[in-house]
Amino acid sequence: MASIIEKTAVPLSQLGIDSKEGANELFQELRQQFELDRHTQSDGESLRIKWLGRKNGILPRISENWLKQAPPELKSTTGMCFNILADEISGIIKLYLLIDDTWDINPSKFTSEQLEAYLAEKQMAREAAERDATRNQVDLSLPGVPRTIGTTHIIRQTISEIERIFLAIGFSVAEGPEIENTYFNFEALNIPEHHPARDDMDTFYIRGGTGPYPLLLRTHTSPVQIRTMQKQQPPVRIIVPGKVYRRDHPDATHGFMFHQVEGLAVDTDITFCDFKGVAEYFVREFLGPHVKTRLRPSYFQFTEPSAEVDGSCIFCKSAGCRICKFTGWIELFGAGMVDPAVYGFVNYDAQKLSGFAFGMGIDRLAMMKYGIDEVPRLFQNDVRFLRQFP
Amino acid sequence: MKILYPWLKEFVDLAVPPAELGARLSLAGLPLDSLEETTAGPVLDFEVTNNRPDCLGHYGVAREAAALFRLPLKPLVPLLKESSEKASKLIRVEIESPDLCARYTARIIHGVTVQPSPLWLRERLTAIGQSSINNVVDIANYVMFELGQPMHAFDLGRIAENRIIVRRARPSEKLRTIDGIERVLRKDACVIADAASARAIGGVMGGAYSEINFDTRDILLESAWFDPISVRRTAKELGLRTEASFRFERGADLQMVELASRRTAQLIKDLAGGQVLRGVVDVFPAPKKAAEIEFTRREWLRVMGADVPDAEVEAILAALGFEPKRSRSRGAGPEDATWKCKQPSWRRDVKREIDLVEEVARLYGYDKFPPRLPPARLPATRLPHAQAEDRLRERLIALGYQEIVSITLVDPELDDLFRLDGVQPALLSNPLAQDASRMRTNGVLSMVQALEWNINHAQQDLRLFEIGKRYELRDGGAFEAPILTLGATGLARVKSLHDNERPFDFADLRGNLDALGDLAGSWNCHAGGPSWLAAGRAATVALNHAPSEAVGNAGQLARDTMERFKLRQPVYVTELQLLPLLAAIGTTQAARRFESWPRFPAVERDFSLTLPDGAAFGAVADAVRTLGIAEITRIDPMDMFRSASIGEGRYSLLLRITFQSAEATLTEAQLSEFSDRIVGALETKFGASLRSR
Repeated sequence: MASIIEKTAVPLSQLGIDSKEGANELFQELRQQFELDRHTQSDGESLRIKWLGRKNGILPRISENWLKQAPPELKSTTGMCFNILADEISGIIKLYLLIDDTWDINPSKFTSEQLEAYLAEKQMAREAAERDATRNQVDLSLPGVPRTIGTTHIIRQTISEIERIFLAIGFSVAEGPEIENTYFNFEALNIPEHHPARDDMDTFYIRGGTGPYPLLLRTHTSPVQIRTMQKQQPPVRIIVPGKVYRRDHPDATHGFMFHQVEGLAVDTDITFCDFKGVAEYFVREFLGPHVKTRLRPSYFQFTEPSAEVDGSCIFCKSAGCRICKFTGWIELFGAGMVDPAVYGFVNYDAQKLSGFAFGMGIDRLAMMKYGIDEVPRLFQNDVRFLRQFP
Repeated sequence: MKILYPWLKEFVDLAVPPAELGARLSLAGLPLDSLEETTAGPVLDFEVTNNRPDCLGHYGVAREAAALFRLPLKPLVPLLKESSEKASKLIRVEIESPDLCARYTARIIHGVTVQPSPLWLRERLTAIGQSSINNVVDIANYVMFELGQPMHAFDLGRIAENRIIVRRARPSEKLRTIDGIERVLRKDACVIADAASARAIGGVMGGAYSEINFDTRDILLESAWFDPISVRRTAKELGLRTEASFRFERGADLQMVELASRRTAQLIKDLAGGQVLRGVVDVFPAPKKAAEIEFTRREWLRVMGADVPDAEVEAILAALGFEPKRSRSRGAGPEDATWKCKQPSWRRDVKREIDLVEEVARLYGYDKFPPRLPPARLPATRLPHAQAEDRLRERLIALGYQEIVSITLVDPELDDLFRLDGVQPALLSNPLAQDASRMRTNGVLSMVQALEWNINHAQQDLRLFEIGKRYELRDGGAFEAPILTLGATGLARVKSLHDNERPFDFADLRGNLDALGDLAGSWNCHAGGPSWLAAGRAATVALNHAPSEAVGNAGQLARDTMERFKLRQPVYVTELQLLPLLAAIGTTQAARRFESWPRFPAVERDFSLTLPDGAAFGAVADAVRTLGIAEITRIDPMDMFRSASIGEGRYSLLLRITFQSAEATLTEAQLSEFSDRIVGALETKFGASLRSR
């Protein structure tokens, strides 16, 4: 005896059904089959495909094989039975599909009446929750509980950013003392006593040192070049952030204390092209990918050839403005190839080694980048300033 | 250096307008500062770097422009009509100090008429910012701005015995200079003297006695070369910076000495009349041959990293006066190309091959070199404690502290308020102002000043920190130590819709410190601190790793210190030595290991105790811990109060002790036994009594 499912594949006549009772029995069998299916199958979608599926569903098959090909005398009975069964089945499958969305009960364990009741209850709860939500809606226009979060000083942030930029291309961070002596600050950087270059950096001297060289507040971070090369053989790749001091009368654009970052790379194969590459890389990373770099010949006692590094004006996009003095360029920092005379002070072989060095004013770069108008703001430590750079 | 454009064009036939000339020279090492129009024509103001005294005259700038635009530079061949009388018969020049003056020339002009300068000369001098004195002085100045050679004209009638002696100043020798000031000369100053006394300070300024005046008829024109260091020291010590000293201290041109004198004499003759005596008295004890410098392509490539055509090398070096000669290559390859060059007398700064490399590079154009990133050779490292500092900074920020950066030069009087005994401060010998004349010996002053600034600017609720340094002298040398300083004042919690306000209190400070201490294996705090902290509200802080070594102090600012800064709200300050703290953060982090927690439930027991006043919570907790009950996981003070019912000299402490075992759920019997032992110990040790259980 073929299963009821198999029976749906053939017309009634072939099943030997010729009476209303016979047809009724077949539908009864189908009803039992469905109950069996839905108790073993909790997934509404699978049930739907099996029973109602357009391609190969059981009900469309019955319609095709039994109904359309029914002998005239059975047509009305089978039609009626079919409609009743189809209503029942699709009703239950619809409940299943609804429960599929929430998945909080297993529908196969319940009768269709229980499922109906369950869904009704669910709907009511949902409506109640929606009413509650409207009533209890938090006022999003109100501020939350205030929490004081600290901030990092903008100079420290800028130093960190510069460190990140140079660490990425193999430069280590070094440091050195702020109270220096004339040897490291001047002499070993090829700035002998009585050289006019000393005029360019008005110097604070410290009383009471007893060493062979007078103590001073370093006028640049360059002494750390010497200190590093004295300790370390090439390859050298360092940057040195720190405080420096110049005996300048303070005003909106000058303070007697400011911050610099020194850079130094010495190796057997460093050339001016490397220096240029590093300068361009830094300017792009720090000021933005569209900022162009220009090198201008300049003069420093401890570099040769020397250069000023200019960046295309970020304020007017090089169109010309007051800040760039209508040149389209802003001076960023001084640099150059390490003067061979400097190697003499640290016992490096000037014939075999070459390198570049640079020194940039962090405060100026930060002021430019963040539009800070006056130097004194940086060190007044007014919290209205500090909290603008969280 | 101000350059008058039409004047410049007398030496080089420029086709570019002044603005473009300025822009192009800026990219070749002569940065243009400004460009302005004057009645005499456009004036370009260039910033001349210290190494280029040759550009402190129009002719030198013309040479740069000629080299840049590849134009011919007009040669200097001043023609001079001289009389038959020989100058050398009339005047004697001796150089007693050739180390101070390498060359001295004198020309004599008889019968001049000193009068105001003609208009064109006045206009040109005005255009470059110089005032006009009289024709003779103006001409000497004019030629200085033209050729870069400073000169001085003496009234010959005032030169005793017609003798010029170049010598060192005598001890405390005096001279009234043309600005009317009597100056005492330093021992090693170079003076130009006659038979009687000093008449000028060599290379710096002439004397008033022999200066040109409207009655002067006969002139001695000095053109000389003075030693840069000597001129610089003299000018600096006299506080007398002149156009002459500016040029000599950067190094004048030994060969220009005579040429400039000739040009000046001719102009004087043309504009002031008179007769130029024949010849020049030229004392030049040790003329030197021009030094030879090699330029090799090998070195060029080694330093610059990109090639340059031979023709460029030769054109640039030739235009700048280096007379390059391609020499026979030592090797076969193109890298072995070598040029022998001569150092021109006006380029004392170019002595080495690297100097020539720079000359070629700057005129070839820095823009022609391709950028490239050098390969990294070693792993890049941060400062030794950078990571610990990051952690510390992160935590401070989480605690709501804002980072400050202070000026480290401070007022010694205020710094002394926070200076520890025995700390020798580092004082400036040349401060700009008294209130910035010492390197701070501590960070507390800066912190208090930052708090003060903000409070005075209506910002009262503050939590600030600084990671900086303190400075002192030790054994005649400098000593710097990194420090962390904290400052807090005002409200710990501001009033809002959700909360009431609450002032920052010692407990907040303690909580903040503990949150930092967590990073470093926690603190060991003792009562008492330095003089600027209020008695009874101060703590000396040590790390648990090394409890006997104080790393700093924390507490509330003492009343008299507050008054000093006119502070009217409680202020809490902390200063900690940074290095031991960072080291402890590092080791603590390295030693951290995961610890599992017991599966069995924790049980809390509250003990309501009354204790005598001296028994601090810490001592009570220690006494409980020394019982060695392994199951105790926490000891917390839940409430503290005094009341009449407890009585004088005692207080009530609600102690909550948490028990938990790793082995089993604690039974009521165990807990009772623990409680009895605890109460017993506290009764014995402190005379504690249990109010209730």
